[in-house]
Amino acid sequence: MDEQQIRAELREWILAHAKSKPSGELTDQTAILETGLLSSLDIVEFVLFIEELRGDEVDTDDIEPEVFTSIDTLWEGFFGQAAG
Amino acid sequence: METASQLAVRLTKQSRDQFWNVYTEFDWPDSLDADRYAMTPELISIHGTELWESLDEPTRKRLSLYEVGNFFSLTLQGERPLVAGLSDRLYSKRLTHEGTEYIHHFIDEENKHMIMFGLFLQKYLGKVYPEKKIALDRTYAKGEEEVAFFCKVMVVEELGDYYNVKMMLDDAIEPIVKQINWVHHRDESRHLGFGRRHLTELTEQWMPTWSDETRAGFSDWLGQYIKSSWNDFYNPTMYKDAGLEDPYQVRKMALAHPLTAEHRARASKKLVNIFLRLGLLLEAPVL
Ligand SMILES: [Fe+2]
Ligand SMILES: [Fe+2]
Repeated sequence: MDEQQIRAELREWILAHAKSKPSGELTDQTAILETGLLSSLDIVEFVLFIEELRGDEVDTDDIEPEVFTSIDTLWEGFFGQAAG
Repeated sequence: METASQLAVRLTKQSRDQFWNVYTEFDWPDSLDADRYAMTPELISIHGTELWESLDEPTRKRLSLYEVGNFFSLTLQGERPLVAGLSDRLYSKRLTHEGTEYIHHFIDEENKHMIMFGLFLQKYLGKVYPEKKIALDRTYAKGEEEVAFFCKVMVVEELGDYYNVKMMLDDAIEPIVKQINWVHHRDESRHLGFGRRHLTELTEQWMPTWSDETRAGFSDWLGQYIKSSWNDFYNPTMYKDAGLEDPYQVRKMALAHPLTAEHRARASKKLVNIFLRLGLLLEAPVL
């Protein structure tokens, strides 16, 4: 799966699980948690979805909550060059 | 009606009378018997599904080891913040003097439970399943955090106890697993008694001061919290370790299956009824 597909998958998951409709478009910079789109209880489900996309487990001990800020930070934290 | 403080005095005495040593309580076998179930089959997360029916007996038994390992891991992972929160309340205004005395035993017993589960997990699985939760800051109304903390305690303890009681009576499973469940239940029945009384008093104290919006928000959060606690029973890594294919699909299938939904509703009935009666849940959540 290439970068664009992964970003699209992440966007789709967020929209499917959003508590409220985002005001305006959900961009790769939209604040996911701050705007209340997802709550902390959604994070476990989301992490498992990311594991499935990555084909590799996520060790949450290695993760700062900031990685869940936006699709951009998710991409960098879990899929980009820096991601383990 | 007995107050939480009066109950704490009684429970303190019981904890002292039954004081036990986690290092001498068990005779750990070198290995588990592969011909026996490590967990009561009816409690296995995929029990009754078409996938379960398709598995041969050795695979079912292998799965039962990872299932009980996951159950013990999530109990242990739930006990960590529980002990942290209880320690934080010792000698504070949030507890009475009698409450503090009992909480010393509560913490002591939870610490022993973590040691007990940890020993089992390291010995027979070689690992403790990690938790995937990430704590995010949120704002609370007055008293809301206190009530939420004891709700979380009750969720982990009530759901766990449903499993403990089933397994401590099951002669067909691994004797060491049966014994661990029995030892756990013996302490938990006191914790649950105290927790119910204490949460009732906290709710009576704080809920009348909450706005309708706070109450609705709390009920919403609590329902979600119970649901997410249940989801932890369907751990893809556990399915993978047991050798099942497509572990993430297994989780989705199992969570969506009507038979497992019935099981979750049955096992949460007592818990949900307590929350409904206290008004902390405004309606029964779909689990
Ligand atoms: Fe415990
Ligand atoms: Fe307990």
